[in-house]
Amino acid sequence: MNANPSPKVNWPRVIGRAILHTVVITVAIIWLLPSMGVFVNTFRPKQAVGSTGWWTILVTPFDFTQYSLENVINVLAGNPEYVETCRENEEIIAAADSGACDELSNSRDRRTCEQVAAGERVLRRCDLLTDLLSSDGMARAFLNSLSITVPSTIIPILVAAFAAYAFAWMEFPGRQVLFVVVVGLLVVPLQMTLIPVQRMFNVLGLTNNPNFPFLAIWLAHTGYGLPFAIYLLRNFFGALPRELFESAYLDGASKWTAFWRLALPLSVPAVASLAIFQFLWVWNDLLVALIFTSGRYSPVTRHVANLVNSLGQDWQVLPAAATISMILPLVIFFALQRYFIRGILAGSVKG
Amino acid sequence: MRKRLAFLTLAAVIGIALSLPMSGMAVAQEECVISVVGVWSGDELTAFEEAVAPFMEENGCTMDFESTRDPAVLRTAVDSGNPPDIAILPQPGVMYEYAADGALVALDSFMDMDALAEDYAPIWLELGSYDGTLYGIFYKVANKSLIWYNPVAFEEAGYEIPTTWDELIALSDQIVADGGTPWSIGLESGDASGWPGTDWIEDIMLRTAGPEVYDQWVNHEISWTDEAVVNAFETWGQIVGNPDYLYGGVEGTLATNFGEAPWPLWEDPPGAYMHRQASFIVGFILDQYPDLEMGTDINFFPFPSINEEIGPAVIGGADVVVMFNDRPEVEAFMEYLASPEPQEIWASMGDFISPNQSVSLDVYPDDATRSIAEAVVNAEIFRFDASDLMPAAVGAGEFWSGVLDFVENPDNLMDILERIEEVAADAYAE
Repeated sequence: MNANPSPKVNWPRVIGRAILHTVVITVAIIWLLPSMGVFVNTFRPKQAVGSTGWWTILVTPFDFTQYSLENVINVLAGNPEYVETCRENEEIIAAADSGACDELSNSRDRRTCEQVAAGERVLRRCDLLTDLLSSDGMARAFLNSLSITVPSTIIPILVAAFAAYAFAWMEFPGRQVLFVVVVGLLVVPLQMTLIPVQRMFNVLGLTNNPNFPFLAIWLAHTGYGLPFAIYLLRNFFGALPRELFESAYLDGASKWTAFWRLALPLSVPAVASLAIFQFLWVWNDLLVALIFTSGRYSPVTRHVANLVNSLGQDWQVLPAAATISMILPLVIFFALQRYFIRGILAGSVKG
Repeated sequence: MRKRLAFLTLAAVIGIALSLPMSGMAVAQEECVISVVGVWSGDELTAFEEAVAPFMEENGCTMDFESTRDPAVLRTAVDSGNPPDIAILPQPGVMYEYAADGALVALDSFMDMDALAEDYAPIWLELGSYDGTLYGIFYKVANKSLIWYNPVAFEEAGYEIPTTWDELIALSDQIVADGGTPWSIGLESGDASGWPGTDWIEDIMLRTAGPEVYDQWVNHEISWTDEAVVNAFETWGQIVGNPDYLYGGVEGTLATNFGEAPWPLWEDPPGAYMHRQASFIVGFILDQYPDLEMGTDINFFPFPSINEEIGPAVIGGADVVVMFNDRPEVEAFMEYLASPEPQEIWASMGDFISPNQSVSLDVYPDDATRSIAEAVVNAEIFRFDASDLMPAAVGAGEFWSGVLDFVENPDNLMDILERIEEVAADAYAE
């Protein structure tokens, strides 16, 4: 009918796409909003977080006076009132030095000021850098978290890879039964195991051992991570073509060589996605850390939970704490996200 | 593939190399380390550390303090045979459980009981005992029978401090007539929502039915459907059953966090005029309004009496310090904790009220805090927070949700009480 070769607009398709995009974008925004709130509240002063919603910044987003690094510094220094206390202390010391204690507005401060002036009390001056690196600060908790998470990711995956290879490609009596038992462990709630495991660690001298403070939690996370890791990797290894291994054996490869040179390189996507899952789970874990770490060896999650006091006071610093503790997982996620997507399908389709 | 594998291996080696020196970081085995597991954290912990510093310095000890509010942590440590030396528990009920298990060290085995009797009123020693043996020392008392107000707003409006319940209701009516809102109440507290309401009921119960009935109620010697309990709920209903009285109405009351509930009192014009809460609420108020000063900007009056035959009464809560391991340095530490010295240090820093009578009232940072402490030490009738003494299924469960249901629907009172009674019958039978 129409001789004109101008491209036809496929309206049903365009409309369909438009609806799809609207839905996807709406869902994405709904999912992102809470994270947005956490992020924005990270940079708002304490009183603002307490009195108004984070969205109030949308009215004047470029008015930089409404933002402050106060909460970030409080979290890093490990004291929810760090900035406030430092400011007060400075004021009191200054007033005491110039003999102007009466000019302070607060009677509690006036009293302290008089004590300082009389030499009965010494107020600490704050030094930001030393305080950030102090034992109360976030820096130590961050290092602890790394020292816990990295081995707790590598050890279970390594052990699981060996086990999965054996379950997939090595013939031995009771193989299926053993595998079913391992998979069955997936449904055991880890809360049930805390007391028996802790008892065992007591006998072995692993609790509060100053020489190996992290060994207990490494082993705990290894145990809790293994069933899923073995299950996932076995299915992935099992999907590799049998001919590959047969020809390798014909060429004189040992089982050891076949594992390292064939099975593992071919399973990088599965291993990587497993590593991400395990890393995130260990990094975000609070319960296992509460039981198996102590005092100065506590990870970030415990550190953050302890910023508020026993009545929940000072919750205003929690958004900042959450943002700081999320930085590393976010970096890991974005660095490895192509494996993440690929790996979720690992073992799901044979062939 | 090879490249990726090499990368992963490298990452693994670096990771382990990074962690090993940290794990091997040998900490010189100190002679004297006292491990403490407790609910305090944040600024409370800082204050506690300062309070114990003189002992630690004198004895060359260090304290290893684990903060956690998860009761499972202590339970696991105790059950697996690795308890901390000292624990700070949020409720005496938990202490009785450990005492019944035989996990605690009896304090009367080494402490000077005469000195303790001098320092502590009989009620504190009684509450700290299980089966006639002393196991716990109370710390960080909260005086719960306080109604907070903004003295500036009261003066501007010309309101008088009520001394009886009838005057309190009359004042509430007057505030409504003047176009204001008398009460700001917040019952939300995460998975513990409802507890601020239980404090109301307890205060009213003690003032309407008297201390003997109150004790019977705590020990479940009277039923939850008893007239005294019904009367306490209905009396509270005079306030929470009237949406005109409530800032944010019934919904606001249910949804507002207890820590934020006092804030409207200092808005301009005041969103509300009165707020009933324990002494610790000052910290929350000062967090939001750091420039306010106790006494001139923030003040309180005692919860008024209801039945005139029952004298001035105070409901209090407190954390309790118990001991798991019997070593000489732990004994010495426990003795130090019970003495006035650390409590005076903490009290002078604020947000702390000591049950120890020998703690000088002069150490409290301002007059208002001093009078809260005075009320605790000198109370004619003092009772511990009932919900903290009841079995958890009731005191930290059905009682909380019952309060929420009552505020939402006051007409359902009998159903609610019957439900609590059902749970209580099971819980006390155990």
